[in-house]
Amino acid sequence: MHNGKKDILLHLYGEATDAEELRSLLRDDELRQEHAELSEAKFRLDHLKRERPDPEVINRILAAAATGDGLPTANNRKDRPAVSPSVRLRKVLIPALSVAAAILFGVAIGWFGASSGTGTSADGPALASTPDDLVPPESLYRFVPPQRSLTPASQADPRLAWDDASPLLDMHRRIQTMRPQGSLDWGEEAVPLESLPGQNAGRLQMTGTDNQKR
Amino acid sequence: MDVTNRHLNQNPSRLPDSPMHPADEVLVAQYVEEADQAAFRTLVDRHQERVFGYLRGMVKDRDVANDLFQETFFRVIRALNKERGSYTRQGKFLGWVLRIARNAALDHLRSRKKWQDLGNGDDGDESAWWDRLPDDGPSALESVQDMEEVDLLKACIDRLPPEQREVVLLRHESDLTFREIADMTNCSINTALGRMRYALINLRRMMEEAKRLDHLPVND
Repeated sequence: MHNGKKDILLHLYGEATDAEELRSLLRDDELRQEHAELSEAKFRLDHLKRERPDPEVINRILAAAATGDGLPTANNRKDRPAVSPSVRLRKVLIPALSVAAAILFGVAIGWFGASSGTGTSADGPALASTPDDLVPPESLYRFVPPQRSLTPASQADPRLAWDDASPLLDMHRRIQTMRPQGSLDWGEEAVPLESLPGQNAGRLQMTGTDNQKR
Repeated sequence: MDVTNRHLNQNPSRLPDSPMHPADEVLVAQYVEEADQAAFRTLVDRHQERVFGYLRGMVKDRDVANDLFQETFFRVIRALNKERGSYTRQGKFLGWVLRIARNAALDHLRSRKKWQDLGNGDDGDESAWWDRLPDDGPSALESVQDMEEVDLLKACIDRLPPEQREVVLLRHESDLTFREIADMTNCSINTALGRMRYALINLRRMMEEAKRLDHLPVND
């Protein structure tokens, strides 16, 4: 559309307000004729009586607005009955406790699995490399020397091995240290101290000394 | 309503907010947040003529327009109460309601299968529907000779091509600006202005023709 005609229309409907622009447009005969014809039609339209909807339609709309859901029949809908405490306990509390118990069980399983798990942890117990490394049960009450050297914990694998610092090993070392280098050994019959060589060095000559004093 | 009232009855969406004349946004907030029924009633009272006049002109039937008006505001109520995101509160409550009204009117017209032969081959521009709509009925001038001028004008509006009629309705009944009309009808403002210009020219010609026929001697 010609810009002048577009501007004429905008001025006619008050959407352009520059009066000087309108005056300059109306200097053109064609645009002035256009303005006159359009003004006449617009004048007729401005005189049209406006219509309103029927009052009952408005009433139905306002009734729907009161219910808030846009359906006027909804005001017949009954309220939801109150929820009893037993229902709340059954539907809310018990499922919640069940979920909590399941979570705790899962955490416990995970914790035990981690504490007795792969043995790769630095803090965890060492594992025996072979079944031979296992200490026989009787060693728990009677010392039985291990058949093989113990595997260091750092080299240990799947099965549990005894720690070097176990009380049994410690006791074994102490016994070895206390064992005499001579023929005397544990389990032999007792012999008089005098019969042992070099055993008189520490004895006191009590009788001689006492006699001299006397 | 006389011309003075119509001129003074400016679109309140463009009036500044005041205690005596709360803005649409204020009323919507009062209704949505405080369940203020009086606020909603004010909104309906304020805009009922703009919405109903548009619907009445679109469907050319008062009863159908009443149904569509009710359906429009039911949708508004549902949207405000349950789908508030669809109304963004940008100070364009009337435009939002008119979009809903337009959709309701188009749904109705589609349900009448008036458009079933017009949908083939258009380019997706909704205006193509309107442009290709055949003119309704016989010449307007043959049936409007005895009408009062106002009724004659309404009859002429009803016989405008649909796309021109819609612009006339949105501008004169709903008080939208041409920019708002262009936005609503998915066309450029130049297109909206062009349709308005042709509508005014056609109305003037039809009115002149009707008057000329009215003054012709009746053959007994």
